[in-house]
Amino acid sequence: MIPHDAGRDLTAVELEDYVGRLAARPELWAGRVSHDPAARVFEELLRDEHLAVWLICWMEDHDTGFHDHDLSQGAVAVVQGAVHEDRLRFDGSRRRHTLRRGQTFSFAAADIHRVLHAGEGPAVTLHAYSPPLWRMGAYEVRHDGTLARHSLSYAEELRPLEAA
Amino acid sequence: MSRIDVHQHFWSQGFVELLARRARPPLVRRDGDGWCVRLDGEPDAPIPPAAHHPVLRAEALAHDRVDVALLCMSSPLGVEALPAEEARPLLDAWHDGVRALDRRFRHWGAVALDGAVPADVDAVLDRGALGLSLPAGALSGPERLERAGPLLEALERRDAPLLIHPGPGLEDRRAGAAPALGLQPWWPALAEYPAQLQAAWLAFAAVGRRAHPRLRVAFAALAGCAPLHTERISARGGPVRGVGDPLIFYDTSSYGPRALDAMIRVTGVDVLVHGSDRPVAAAPADHGLGRAATAALHRVNPARLVSGVTARPERRLEAVA
Repeated sequence: MIPHDAGRDLTAVELEDYVGRLAARPELWAGRVSHDPAARVFEELLRDEHLAVWLICWMEDHDTGFHDHDLSQGAVAVVQGAVHEDRLRFDGSRRRHTLRRGQTFSFAAADIHRVLHAGEGPAVTLHAYSPPLWRMGAYEVRHDGTLARHSLSYAEELRPLEAA
Repeated sequence: MSRIDVHQHFWSQGFVELLARRARPPLVRRDGDGWCVRLDGEPDAPIPPAAHHPVLRAEALAHDRVDVALLCMSSPLGVEALPAEEARPLLDAWHDGVRALDRRFRHWGAVALDGAVPADVDAVLDRGALGLSLPAGALSGPERLERAGPLLEALERRDAPLLIHPGPGLEDRRAGAAPALGLQPWWPALAEYPAQLQAAWLAFAAVGRRAHPRLRVAFAALAGCAPLHTERISARGGPVRGVGDPLIFYDTSSYGPRALDAMIRVTGVDVLVHGSDRPVAAAPADHGLGRAATAALHRVNPARLVSGVTARPERRLEAVA
């Protein structure tokens, strides 16, 4: 795995640079790619005091639901296929960016977003979080339009929380 | 995939009878319907009669929703640290007792530290142990760890894991010591065990891993929360790489959501394993961390500790639910 020697948590710019460099080294992660139609497949590629790096494999309909990353900022590189990144607006509308192979994006710890599979064919993304992802918030939009936040361990799969 | 509890204790009737015949601690004495344990330097501790009843313990597996429980020697007794001629009959009786239980109970082997050789490790593994447990006191410094090196090499050669449990090493025996005045029964578990585990963790991270690169090691009771000291370890030039070691596991005994959540923040979820410490402590049905973390702690991570099938943390969260 590509080392980092910052000796501190990485900034969003540094994280985006990291996933970009990792994307250019498929020999470091291509062997871990596997797709499952039922759910995203997660592989932890690196975890140290300041950085956690995951590979995530996506298929049709895979969707994180709206979530935050508590205290961690992060960056994503798309290395196969495409994903949408949606941001939730207070008026209920969504701002959508579609990211394709070769593109990267980053987010601050305070950002609330949702990432979902886009286009045709499987997608693969590389994710870097600093400090390593630990707790997350998953958001539920209830029938009456109110928003609820569920605190989750990072181990818990993020999936769209449907109103009961 | 089985739901595994990596840390339980069981004393057979035969083992208790040998302890009852002893004139010096460790020993047990009848106490009403149950027993009372006497150790050097510690207040007497009562053992309720149901604690080691084989039928009740088998029923407790269903209650705890556990498919397989891994039994280990109660190392705080100090049996492993006794002179070999005293330790061996007790350890034989303990092994006979755990082997006689039904197949849902597996065990960590235990050996007499006095004169221990690799063949002792092979012998317990050949007779059904899935790994070895050692008292933390046998590994709680570089010199002690080096002395235990041949035992750890034997485990590594057999691809079998090690459990490090609180308990004295050969140098820690305090024959004839009376308990300090006013000492409550909880004192050893809260003041001494975490310190022993932390010392063993530091020693293993500093020198043990280099000598035993493939050994899978589980520490009882979150290794005394040693990894939570990561910033202090870093600041003082200690072996901070131990925090990210994917082959060092931590059992959850007597800890709950707050300590486990703090550990996950530092070590990640892939190295935490469910260990109840039954019958010493009650087993929580759920650690309160959510569905995927529960699957990791109860099934995926213990399987990796025991079988070593996956050397590297690897998770397919949906597949294990």
